[in-house]
Amino acid sequence: MELQIRNVSKIYPNGVQALKNVTLTIPNGMYGLLGPNGAGKSTLMRILATLQEPDEGNIQLGSINVVKQKEEVRKTLGYLPQEFGVYPKVSAESLLDHFAILKGITTRAARKEAVEALLRQTNLWDVRKQKLGGYSGGMKQRFGVAVALLGNPKLMIVDEPTAGLDPAERVRFLNLLSELGENSVVILSTHIVEDVSELCTRMAIINRGEILLEAVPLQAMEGLKGRIYRRIIEKSALPQLERDHKIISTKLLGGRTVVHVYSEKALGGFELVPPDLEDVYFSAMAGHIGSRKPEVAL
Amino acid sequence: MKFREIFRFEFAYQLRRPWTWLFVFVLIVVDFLMTRDRAVTDALFEEFFVNSPFLIANTTVFGSLMWLMMAAVIAGDAAARDVATRMHPLLYTVSISKAEYLGGRFLAALALNALILLGVQVGILLGVYLPGMGPALIGPFRPAAYWTAYIYIALPNAFVATAMQFAMATRSGRAMAGYLGSFILFFMGFFVASFLLFRRGLGTLLDPTGIRFIVEDIAHLWTTVEKNQRLLTLEGIVLENRLLWIGLGLITVAVTYLGFRFAHRIESTFWWKRALNKFSAGKLAYGHQETAPSPGIAIRSGRPVCVPQAPLTFGIAMQTRQTLTIASASFRMIATSWAGLALLTFIPLLTIPVVVDQMESNGVPLLPVTTRVINELTAPLSAELSRWVIVPALLIFFAGELVWREREAGLGDITDAMPGSEWPPFLGKFLGLGLLLIAFTTLQMSAGMIAQSLMGYNKFELGLYLKILFGLQLPEYLLFAVLVLVVHVLVDHKYIGHLIATLAYVFIALSTLFGVEHNLLVYGAGPGWSYTEMRGFGPSLGPWLWFKGYWAAWALLLAVVGRLLWVRGKEGTLKFRLQLARHRFTGPTRWLAGSASVLILALGGFIFYNTNILNEYLTTSEVKGRQAEYERRYERYNGIPQPEPTQANLHIEIYPDLREAEIRGSYQLVNRSTVAIDSIHVATAKVTTETSFDRAAALVVADEDHGHRIYALEEPLQPGDSLRLDFKVNIKPRGFRENGVDASVTSNGTFFMNKNYFPLIGYQRHRELITATDRREHGLAPRPLIAFLNDEEAYKDRGRGIAFNAVLGTQEDQVAVAPGMLRGTWTEGGRRYFHYSTDAIGGEWSFFSARYAVCKSEWISSDDSLNPQEESAAARRVAIRIYHDPRHTAHLDPMLRSIRASLDYYTKNFGPYRRGYLNVVERPGNGTGMHAEAAMLSHGEGFTFWRPEDGSHDHPYAIVAHEMAHQWTIPYANVEGAPVMSESLAWYYGMKAVEHSKGPEGLRQLFNYLWQPHPYAPIFRGEPLLRGLDPYMSYRKGPFALYTLSEYIGEEQVNGALRRLLENHRPVEAPLATTLDLYRELRAVTPDSLKYLLYDLFEANTYWKFKTERATATPIKTGEWQVILEVETHKVVVDSAGVKTPVPMDEWIEVGVFAPAKGRERQEPLYLKKHRIRSGKQTIQVTVSGKPARAGIDPYHVLNWEERSEDNMKNLRINQ
Repeated sequence: MELQIRNVSKIYPNGVQALKNVTLTIPNGMYGLLGPNGAGKSTLMRILATLQEPDEGNIQLGSINVVKQKEEVRKTLGYLPQEFGVYPKVSAESLLDHFAILKGITTRAARKEAVEALLRQTNLWDVRKQKLGGYSGGMKQRFGVAVALLGNPKLMIVDEPTAGLDPAERVRFLNLLSELGENSVVILSTHIVEDVSELCTRMAIINRGEILLEAVPLQAMEGLKGRIYRRIIEKSALPQLERDHKIISTKLLGGRTVVHVYSEKALGGFELVPPDLEDVYFSAMAGHIGSRKPEVAL
Repeated sequence: MKFREIFRFEFAYQLRRPWTWLFVFVLIVVDFLMTRDRAVTDALFEEFFVNSPFLIANTTVFGSLMWLMMAAVIAGDAAARDVATRMHPLLYTVSISKAEYLGGRFLAALALNALILLGVQVGILLGVYLPGMGPALIGPFRPAAYWTAYIYIALPNAFVATAMQFAMATRSGRAMAGYLGSFILFFMGFFVASFLLFRRGLGTLLDPTGIRFIVEDIAHLWTTVEKNQRLLTLEGIVLENRLLWIGLGLITVAVTYLGFRFAHRIESTFWWKRALNKFSAGKLAYGHQETAPSPGIAIRSGRPVCVPQAPLTFGIAMQTRQTLTIASASFRMIATSWAGLALLTFIPLLTIPVVVDQMESNGVPLLPVTTRVINELTAPLSAELSRWVIVPALLIFFAGELVWREREAGLGDITDAMPGSEWPPFLGKFLGLGLLLIAFTTLQMSAGMIAQSLMGYNKFELGLYLKILFGLQLPEYLLFAVLVLVVHVLVDHKYIGHLIATLAYVFIALSTLFGVEHNLLVYGAGPGWSYTEMRGFGPSLGPWLWFKGYWAAWALLLAVVGRLLWVRGKEGTLKFRLQLARHRFTGPTRWLAGSASVLILALGGFIFYNTNILNEYLTTSEVKGRQAEYERRYERYNGIPQPEPTQANLHIEIYPDLREAEIRGSYQLVNRSTVAIDSIHVATAKVTTETSFDRAAALVVADEDHGHRIYALEEPLQPGDSLRLDFKVNIKPRGFRENGVDASVTSNGTFFMNKNYFPLIGYQRHRELITATDRREHGLAPRPLIAFLNDEEAYKDRGRGIAFNAVLGTQEDQVAVAPGMLRGTWTEGGRRYFHYSTDAIGGEWSFFSARYAVCKSEWISSDDSLNPQEESAAARRVAIRIYHDPRHTAHLDPMLRSIRASLDYYTKNFGPYRRGYLNVVERPGNGTGMHAEAAMLSHGEGFTFWRPEDGSHDHPYAIVAHEMAHQWTIPYANVEGAPVMSESLAWYYGMKAVEHSKGPEGLRQLFNYLWQPHPYAPIFRGEPLLRGLDPYMSYRKGPFALYTLSEYIGEEQVNGALRRLLENHRPVEAPLATTLDLYRELRAVTPDSLKYLLYDLFEANTYWKFKTERATATPIKTGEWQVILEVETHKVVVDSAGVKTPVPMDEWIEVGVFAPAKGRERQEPLYLKKHRIRSGKQTIQVTVSGKPARAGIDPYHVLNWEERSEDNMKNLRINQ
């Protein structure tokens, strides 16, 4: 199954253009949608999750028209929103069972089996009787995944799932996601580059409603090889450096500033570094690669 | 500074919210309409300015009640917005004090509410001064009338309500919880204060809304002049009430303050739960450890997630399953919430004492039969003053909670992305409400049965409970549940949704205020059902069902709308939702909408055919228009010479099962005037009536709309001549009317009166409009309610009695009853016939038919002084027949005892009983009331359920004595004081009959009952008894005045005067009696030394006040004691404007000295004599033999019966 997003645009009533002519092709497997806060990720995700309508464009999941045939999509959809709550006074097990019915698992035995498997899979089995109000952020998030996984969805939409998780919980969570089968489309939106680099076979970078880059992470990093330079400087030297070079990112390290610079020519005084996905992301954001700079071929 | 900023921000924030302004707008509109509506003045039969202080106060009470039910979110939002929006961590960590934070928020909410409530006064002002209000109705502008209402009623209400709402919302962290605060106050006002603590005083004190002290008390206690002019003042019970509730408000504020903490909100902050949590902390910590992140366990890389492939079901099966699971989740959510707990626990528990409390009438217990208990448990949805109005109020609240449940929990996105249509969530939530209502109904049913068994009654009629509570009451609530759910869905804003739903209820309850009357136009409305043991449901269920079916079809259509516009996903604009609705409008939904529409049209059409085509439907104003037109057209014939009926011959065939009756009758009419009569005016009723004369007469006017026919006689009817009017009336239901079916003729329990069906002669004054508003609106000159006391024309307006002869045919198993003596009964053609006749009867006739059992008895005079030669046999023997439902027998013996006692006393004192028979008939209906006609008493089924307790007031006994006394009623003129002539005399007779048959103890119990203010509060208004009209004058003041007089001048004197009055006025040639004749006769028997008392009682409105300041007793010789009393006495006269003037007194008043009480026995007086007493302080000295304990003035409240101040007596201080 393949998800095809064609020329999707969305303008909010207050004039904000959330999506601008977005076109993506998303095959089976883990797909990362990377972008800063406010880039339009959640809008796109909600449109895919049938909760919003695009102003223009067409979205096709296999033979299903996502915009028109919402009901068909919902039958095979797993959705983990960026923010969600729970009924605090209900236990995980009974709420998951409730959702299983809503998803269409109507036979009791099958539901029991599915609920148990998902609770075990998300490592919530031991706390299944506990009220959800007492769950930590990570537990709640894993519960959300369990809900999303109900009914073996062909389309999984996971919106910023790692925001606010502690490192250990994040690792646990990414593991869970990575184990999702190869038979479904899984879209993971995030602003954390590591999430994508660790998990996704394909990715897109989105900013201000536009797709800047659609790529396979490894290939993208390969494509940047020899163009990323690094230098460690004092903070005070930054303004001068900014004037002279195309800085794509700065980072603090032990009180000094680590600067990454994009350059197609060799730079003196800089250290050539092997590009990582973060460099790809910032290069695309800065417009050195991707759709904003069409002359640069990958 | 910080406080000011918190206040300012909150105030400004909510001032910019749309709902704040909507509340103001709604209050202005509703109070405008209430000011324009004249229902209150009409109900009180009084006329006062639209801007009179009383009406302003009245509107302010209802306005603040409306505010209470709709605007709780102002305080709720101020209290809970931070927690609800999860902004509280930011605020709680700022250095502000609790007092600044809570104080600022609370006062801002209070200020906003105070401003919103100004809308009430604005609405009143607009109602008064906008064009369209007749200038004659507008009194002088008095700012004080507005601000006293605002400050004394609205503001304290706002304070206590805001405190409650704020407390609830702070506690729960949810703005909507503010409504719980409103419900608590509402509940206090409507449930606790009004019913459980109905006795005035405590109920008035505990009512937080003002309904009782304005609407109940002032409406009854203030005179018309006072209502127009007197300003509300903070004194007495009003002050106490306000102080109490402000105090409770302050306590609530303090509790809120103390209970609030700037802390992270855990699930529950109740102290017991905190303590419990502490207790189980160890266990919890262990639990957390297990789930603590341990990457070693969690990372199972390489192993794919394998969730078993669960079979998915889509389509109807899934949606059904979804619906059911949402229903049960919804039910559980509400049932475990505080408000749900209140509905399912608190209310049913409180229902038990309320039902027990209501199982009495006039202080006498009633048998808690199921019909009566069910009456307490049910009310039409639209009865806004019933205690069950709490149910629709809670439904509005619950519907909002359910519609917003997922979104508020933050699960909206997840559930919205689930498969399935919008039917399951909508239907599921509706079913959740339905389950809740079923649980509530079941609990109410149990509460009713528990109340019954607590009262020692165990004939539970489970079937009847089920039929009425589940079959008739539940559907009302379910229909409303659909409406409010759909409103919440459509509005898609929780606060405004609540407001609109509340308004929808207000519209349903007060639709006439908005000018909508027809039951086809008011959601859920319809004619009510009725049930009595005799009649069963009668014909009331049919129309009920048609109307409810019609509204169920609307509910179905509403449900379709709710489904189509159900909010799913992030797009909430109406435009988009409508667009989406078009996509959703497919398949079964389209089919459902179609069939709902067809049903609406079909049922609506059928109902319309019945109510407006088969029957005539008139709006209230059309009815009034006809009354006005009748008067305009025919009033000119009022008082013209018309022949009078002297004989009536009737043949009535009753067909109970067909609900039909055929009446053939004739009147013999004689010209008693001195001129020839050339035209005869016949007033006809709204049934098919044929009229004809036994001689040539031309029908010149046949005005069926106004029920008036004029026949021109070919040959004028000469004085003394007579003619015959033949008529035929068919009582036959044609379908049903807008207000249901006329149940006059029904399968068991037929009861109708001549005035509703029979033709009458001449212009009918009683058809005229009465209230001043109506008359003004229709351009008619005002008319007094009743003729003036000195209107001598009215004295002559008397009939001379009609010889009455009737044959009634009915079903073979029924007994038919009519006025007169039963002359014979026979069976013919499978039907049973009864022949009644009497030689002279008044104009009011009742007819009955039912499966009666007849209890026959006879009274024979034991009075030997009656000479059998002189008096007719009837005077010595009376055949008594009691027609009753075979199931109702407990009342028979006590009733016979009272009848006999009455006959004994009345024949001895007031002259012979002139008819040899007496019929007592039970008519269908749950009322306890009894009605007297010539030789006939009739009573509702409720009368048979009275179970007086031994040793306490026997009300049915007294009622029978009173109604029996009406058989000796003096023919009286219909002028001022007429109710005194009729009811006061009959109650005085009744008192005497009770005294003579049950002894002084029985009389004391009757007095204790009559002294109770309820339902007739003492009205300190000045019209004298001679012109008394209202129930207080006729049922309380009048009988006590006569009794007091009899205590002073002697029973024989008073009875003799009354007997002479009767003898003087009984002859048909004599003029009708008035209170002036009564006064004259009483004066004749009153010695000159007591004439002042007669004047005080009848001609003036006099009140006595007695106080014994000090009382001492000193032994003077063996067994003799000297008692010295220092007393203070006053006498006050109240004039017709309510002005009180002290008057000097120098009169005879009883002084009593009593021995120590022995148990419950009545204290026997050691000394009881009348003393000459002046106004002011004085000392009284008496000597008694035997040790005294208590002494004072007017010990039996003979004069001071209205207030019965306990100060008149004092325990004696003994000087040894």
